[in-house]
Amino acid sequence: MSEKKPVIEFKDVTFWHGGGNEKPAIKNINLKIYEGDYVALLGLNGAGKTTLQLCINGVIPNSIMGDFEGEVIVYGKDTYDTPVREMAKMVGMVFDNPEFQLSQMSVAEEIALGMESLGFSYDEMVETITEVLDIVGLQGLEERSPFGLSGGQQQRLSIAAALAMEPKILVMDEPTSNVDPIGKEEIFSVAAQLNREKNMTVIMAEHEVEVMAAYANIVIVMHEGEILLNGTPEEVFSNVELIQKLGLRLPQVTEYAHRLNQLNLASIKKPYPVTLNSAIERYKDIL
Amino acid sequence: MQGIVIPISMVPGNSAIHRMNPLPKLLWTFGILALSFSTRNIAVLGIAFAIGLLLVFYSRITSAYLRVALILFPISLTLITLQSIAPAFPRPWTTIAAFGPFNIYQEGIYSGISLLLRIMAMTTWAMVTIMTSHPSDIFTSLKKIGMPYVLNFILVMTLQLIPILQNEFGTVLNAQKSRAMKGSGFGAILPSMVPVFVGAIERVQQLSISLESRAFGSTGQKSSFRQVRMAFSDYFVMALGFVTTGLATYWVIIDKSLDWSKSMTFSPIFAVSLVLSATIGFLVFVIFAIRAALSA
Repeated sequence: MSEKKPVIEFKDVTFWHGGGNEKPAIKNINLKIYEGDYVALLGLNGAGKTTLQLCINGVIPNSIMGDFEGEVIVYGKDTYDTPVREMAKMVGMVFDNPEFQLSQMSVAEEIALGMESLGFSYDEMVETITEVLDIVGLQGLEERSPFGLSGGQQQRLSIAAALAMEPKILVMDEPTSNVDPIGKEEIFSVAAQLNREKNMTVIMAEHEVEVMAAYANIVIVMHEGEILLNGTPEEVFSNVELIQKLGLRLPQVTEYAHRLNQLNLASIKKPYPVTLNSAIERYKDIL
Repeated sequence: MQGIVIPISMVPGNSAIHRMNPLPKLLWTFGILALSFSTRNIAVLGIAFAIGLLLVFYSRITSAYLRVALILFPISLTLITLQSIAPAFPRPWTTIAAFGPFNIYQEGIYSGISLLLRIMAMTTWAMVTIMTSHPSDIFTSLKKIGMPYVLNFILVMTLQLIPILQNEFGTVLNAQKSRAMKGSGFGAILPSMVPVFVGAIERVQQLSISLESRAFGSTGQKSSFRQVRMAFSDYFVMALGFVTTGLATYWVIIDKSLDWSKSMTFSPIFAVSLVLSATIGFLVFVIFAIRAALSA
């Protein structure tokens, strides 16, 4: 049986931002991500999540100045030698501030922008726009100005614009940071749907640990540019002391399990449950 | 984004001018521009302005047009006042009246009226084009005739950035007011500039990364989502515009008898009344503008 090949591979990647920064934004990153993975990137601000994500489509090192060491291979292509516009066909990017990603006069034109650059035919564009608007739930808003949409709608439009390029990987950098609770739920469910139904590889930097524990199959914890933990949500969140020491939140059910153990009220074995459903399953025997 | 209004933007409608392809409209506008810059003849400029006004009424954009014209016209009136006392004409000047310590010159009155009509003719035609065409259609048409798409994008982005920056200015001014700082006037605007422009730079940086991530700048064949087609009538209007404005421009350039600056005379009463009305019109506008700014 052949070994499963990663679609994204970081090999000893270190990056220093320009301007004489002595401290690297990310250092010695070795990471393999496989097709269909839903990866949650956790870490405080400045942990290196955004820098790591920008390496995936080659914005680092091709567009952002700095010193780059190592290799990032995406679907067999070295991002160092591949223009970002080429990588755009494989990697869709969604950033934290939706308004800063929009530039066109209408929703339809915003989605078409990337396709126009790649020379899609008119019919293909119309078909794709209908399809991606359907996926993100913005049907009927084709002629609206992107700047007249709510924060959640704008972010879903950014996702639609990324999806229109038919990427195999969707990278999202704190996509819900400027969005209200309803908008957050919409974005999480769109990402989960793409991962589940289209087998799209999703890499999402996010602070909502409960949601990440429910959707992601891989959780990566970063701190000061390094990957400290990498594994399934259960494996990662069971490192309760370390995660708390880093100042990160844990899923409430995980924290609850840990407190029960600490207070000798129960003896819950690691890995701890990370979602409500898994907790109910585990505690059925105790209760 | 509420409360943000771009004063010059498309006014939806279904007139023949609205339905027309933007290219003939652009050609006519540039033709009128060339004609206006080629002559000082007030009859030619007046006719161009009058036809522009007819198109404004016909395409039912009158109220939107007036919102801009009511700002532009009083400001342009200063041309009459200034030109009448210091004409942009070679000396000698013919004195026809006195206005306080200033002499009013024949050539100045002519020049003032001519410049005012030139500005009004050009802006009226430009506004007909802008207010009856979807911006995306204009940019798509320009792209079709070979305008680089990066330049097109710059134009689209500039149009988008104006209301965004207006909005951000409003937010910063409100923040200043809430901290008991001055919230209106020049003294309030100056400190707002730094956060607004720093924010704009950050926005542009983020946008450039986002665009690059969407293959913007790709070197291959490009396509266009917006479909703007040229009908036979569009070709006809375009040819008519080319011939009409081209011939008119040629005519005003070669026919020296059209320079009426020396032959056209104004009575002293007319000259003084005109200068006085123009000055009062401008001052009334300034007073209204200051009052509006203070009450904001």
